[in-house]
Amino acid sequence: MGEARFVAGDKVRTHTVDPPHHTRLPRYIRGQVGEVVEPEGAWPLPDDRARDLPESRVETVYAVRFAARDLWGEGTHSVTVDLWESYLEPAGEDDT
Amino acid sequence: MSRVHDVGGQTGFGPVSPDLDDNQPFHADWEARVFALNTALRRRGVFNLDEMRDAIERIPPEQYLAASYYERWLLAVEMLLREKGLLADG
Amino acid sequence: MSEDHASTAIAARVRRLEERLVDAGVVSDAELDTILNRFLAKASPLNGARIVARAWVDEGFRERLLDDANSAIKELGLSLGGDHAELRLRVVANTQTLHNVIVCTLCSCYPLQLLGPSPSWYKSLAYRSRVVRVPRDVLAEFGLHLPDDVEIAVWDSSAESRYMVLPMRPPGTEDKSEDELAGLVTREGLIGTAAV
Repeated sequence: MGEARFVAGDKVRTHTVDPPHHTRLPRYIRGQVGEVVEPEGAWPLPDDRARDLPESRVETVYAVRFAARDLWGEGTHSVTVDLWESYLEPAGEDDT
Repeated sequence: MSRVHDVGGQTGFGPVSPDLDDNQPFHADWEARVFALNTALRRRGVFNLDEMRDAIERIPPEQYLAASYYERWLLAVEMLLREKGLLADG
Repeated sequence: MSEDHASTAIAARVRRLEERLVDAGVVSDAELDTILNRFLAKASPLNGARIVARAWVDEGFRERLLDDANSAIKELGLSLGGDHAELRLRVVANTQTLHNVIVCTLCSCYPLQLLGPSPSWYKSLAYRSRVVRVPRDVLAEFGLHLPDDVEIAVWDSSAESRYMVLPMRPPGTEDKSEDELAGLVTREGLIGTAAV
């Protein structure tokens, strides 16, 4: 496990892939762009632990904030979700 | 995997009923026993928390939706014990 | 507690499962009793209420709590527990313009040690599905009607952090002691479905 890839304020996009096993990336935020609120330390990846793999990956988890308007097309609230690093990629310049 | 448990944002489950709660930690003795069994089996390393969650998510959707909270736990614990050969059929 | 036919059947099934695991030497009855008794003795919303009351009377504690909650609650002799490491605690403070509310859409993650066993509605499909989408409507179902200019922040605890809301201190409580203040705090206030 290396350094945390993202810092507070970074824009990130969640993966759209639906893996063929347990994961903690909820469907309602897949493919969405959010902003990193803060890193939360490193934790074993549930996708690996649920399959009882001998070597579970350990990754930084981030609180990532999404705007209701992006998720549902309406609403003024925010939803913050805790996500493992491999669920995220940097959002491009066009992703705002 | 997108399974039945992944309900964030879904519609159709009706309003929340705050009054249904009676402030009891468990609503029957068997719920408390299932809770304790799950904790003990995890401590013994029979399965970990993520395996338990995965098992709950693998309950067939119609059964998941019909089951109470601790019924889901019971179904998942039984599923894991069977898969790990600790609970023969019968 | 009343038991209908279905719950009698399921109780018998649980008993049978427990007997088989005890017979196989996988668990013991005493161990299960100890687990339950410890859990019921320690996990209570009174813990969360104590934390909130301390934060209301002690500005330094409040700052430490919002900065690093795991360390701060140790000052009160509390901890969060967890499977492989102590879970991370994040306390989120309500203000005049921001209201926080907690959910776990995927299952039922909850700061058990500080809030006690979670209410049935917290684990319900209705709450889990709707509070991330229409939180204002859900809060209204609890009788909490927020002014339009109060922003809502929903926290979906999907990993190893557990969230607790720090409600605003009610007006007119300047003369109350820390213990009396703790008595004002409800479990729903700590989840965010009540103001206090």
